[in-house]
Amino acid sequence: YQNLDVVLEAIDSRDGAFCAEMLSFKHPHVANPRLQLSSPEEKCQQLLEPPYDEMVAAHLRCTFAVSNHDFVEAYKCQTVVVQYPLSFQAHKEENWALPIMFAVTLDLRIFANNAEQQLQSKGKGKVGDMLEKAAEQLMSCFRVCASDNRAGIDDSKKWGMLFLINQLFKIYFKINKLHLCKPLIRAIDSSNLKDDYSTAQRVTYKYYVGRKAMFDSDFKQAEEYLSFSFTHCHRSCQRNKRLILIYLLPVKMLLGHMPTHQLLKKYDLMQFADVTKAVSEGNLLLLNEALVKHETFFIRCGIFLILEKLKIITYRNLFKKVYHLLKTHQLPLDAFLVALKMMKVEDVDIDEVQCILANLIYMGHIKGYISHQHQKLVVSKQNPFPPLSSVS
Amino acid sequence: MTYSCLTTGDQSESSLRQVTSEELPSTRPMNKTAMSSAWHHSRRGRGHRHKEQGRVTRDRVEEQKAEDSVPHGTCMTMCPAYELRQREAQNRLHRFEMVADTERDHLPRADVSRAVKEYSRPAAGKDSTRASNLRPPSVLLKTVCHLVDDIATSSTFQPWAEVYSFVFDRLRSVRQDMIIQRVSGTDCVAVLEKSVRFLLYASYRLCGQHLQYFDPRINDTHLQECLSWLLESYRDGKHQHQEEFQALSLLYNLGSTEAIQHVLELPERIRSSPAVRLALAVSRAHMERNPVRLLHLAQRLDFIQVCAVHRHLLPCRTDLLLLYSHGHSSRNCRYPLQRLARLLFLKDTLAAELCQVYGVNVTGEWVNFSKSSFTDAASGDLQCRRMHEPLDDEQWNCSASSVIHGCA
Repeated sequence: YQNLDVVLEAIDSRDGAFCAEMLSFKHPHVANPRLQLSSPEEKCQQLLEPPYDEMVAAHLRCTFAVSNHDFVEAYKCQTVVVQYPLSFQAHKEENWALPIMFAVTLDLRIFANNAEQQLQSKGKGKVGDMLEKAAEQLMSCFRVCASDNRAGIDDSKKWGMLFLINQLFKIYFKINKLHLCKPLIRAIDSSNLKDDYSTAQRVTYKYYVGRKAMFDSDFKQAEEYLSFSFTHCHRSCQRNKRLILIYLLPVKMLLGHMPTHQLLKKYDLMQFADVTKAVSEGNLLLLNEALVKHETFFIRCGIFLILEKLKIITYRNLFKKVYHLLKTHQLPLDAFLVALKMMKVEDVDIDEVQCILANLIYMGHIKGYISHQHQKLVVSKQNPFPPLSSVS
Repeated sequence: MTYSCLTTGDQSESSLRQVTSEELPSTRPMNKTAMSSAWHHSRRGRGHRHKEQGRVTRDRVEEQKAEDSVPHGTCMTMCPAYELRQREAQNRLHRFEMVADTERDHLPRADVSRAVKEYSRPAAGKDSTRASNLRPPSVLLKTVCHLVDDIATSSTFQPWAEVYSFVFDRLRSVRQDMIIQRVSGTDCVAVLEKSVRFLLYASYRLCGQHLQYFDPRINDTHLQECLSWLLESYRDGKHQHQEEFQALSLLYNLGSTEAIQHVLELPERIRSSPAVRLALAVSRAHMERNPVRLLHLAQRLDFIQVCAVHRHLLPCRTDLLLLYSHGHSSRNCRYPLQRLARLLFLKDTLAAELCQVYGVNVTGEWVNFSKSSFTDAASGDLQCRRMHEPLDDEQWNCSASSVIHGCA
């Protein structure tokens, strides 16, 4: 039981980082069978003061559960552990315990995930139930941090806000309740610490906020956030950089910026290669084929629907080609119909062509008007196809 | 054993039990050591908290026990005997539940073969889990069949708004029984499928009716509840009508990215079924903002699918007018009204009226589009209902039974 002595010392000397390690499942101590006890309460009570005795006891019970691969039990134990950081509110004007809060909340979320998976495999439990409960606990911790108005900047618990928000984002995205992100985003926006958190935390934050903006079809904002996230993400985190790119690419393409082949190869995202080619050439046939070919990948990442939005850009590029070919400002509608048929777009008639054109005009991709009587699209003599980045 | 765990009344019971068990140690005769250790405990405050944690774990055990003893209904009639007698005595029977020719009596008699348990809000002190008041799944299915086959689709009961009100309430009660007994599986699915069809049909038939007869928002809330429960149930096992209802759900929730994403994640077999493929095509046309294509595809929907999608059609039509107002905006050009009406799948006169409401200029046979004249007026005056029919009127009066039964 040397560990308990060590924990006691760390608590006394307010060594948050060390305590956090002693309570974190990333630390190897959790594999020590001498610590995996099903009823460690007595020993803990002997050596530690409340509330740490209960907290550590619950942690040790948790190691026992994990050693038995019982993640449902582990989750239950962890919920007990997480209750104690809330009492840190009693640490007036101190925030040394924040690392502990970070470590235990992270483990809580992970166990909730594992526990749900375990239940799912047995055919029990509703998806998202445990994660939602975990989110509630995290929110309580968040409130403790957010409401710390008394301490000075260095000792404020507000430094814990972004970490917890990122954890909550992860849960909300998993259970598909993105609307719950809004109050958290507002909290950070109005915080004066927002640019001073660690880069890592800010990268994660912007990644999720960027994805949320995509979901809300706010593509300009999404590009801003995701670009920040990508450029500030550390070079060594290839996996994370790739993840960010998966969402940044479609957004950039919608704004008219196609990725280079080099970039796609570097990050192993060749699925986007055909899509890129198709969009810039106005090749609807290739686009449809590319979307079908990598359907599973795109659907799993949740970008399939956004990529479908590229269709309108593809139409625009195709029609621009027609314009350049015919070299006139009065383009017969039939020409567009022929172009579409060449792209093997099935069962499209002249009325649908008119509708597609009307849409492009409405969105500002084409400057002009349709004359039904003359069956022509009349385009402006100046810049009839404005650059994509200038159109919102 | 009737373990009542759901009502607040019983919660106080269990905590009473805890309190009495907590008090036991104090009634034990205290010898010197026991007293000193008790004193010691309270001094340090630790023992106290330890006991609290003990209480927490005990609660969890109770919860576990509760989960294992889910109520199982034993009421084999559509309406529990107790409720039947009570409502009969208090003259609270619905006229669809009365013995024929006793409706005008001072105290009408209840027809046991037609009385159905009504929905009642759960309340403190009320025991909604008594087995004799709960109907098992087989009876629930029988009840739903009666409600739909004998009442909702019969043409003898008029006005239909009253039929709706009665069936809506009784279906709600059926679902309540299902929730309390945690019913799942084939019976649950069958009940939900019939309920969804009924509610979809109702949303179409009573569209535009006065709020006191039909509230579209309430209907929508219940419809969404049924749909999400149904789709959740489809995750386990094979279900004969799954394709049909996945398609209906997508059509009803046209434009919802969640709904589309859900369908995209379905197994290939279901996604490639004709119903789902058509629904996806309609959905795609909506996403690409191509109302011409959407309205064209909508012609291929069968009647219950039209019921599901109809509330999105008016906004789709106005969107067409908006897009064309911009795309065809020119002082000198004219667009033939007749052609526009065909695109909108409306009669010429109705198309002209729609244009007028939205500030689109119509003179005689010609429409003049102008982006500045289009106004997104709240379509208060022009009701969705007036656009319900496809070109021929007969569909409107098509028999309810064929719609609600569909292929089942």
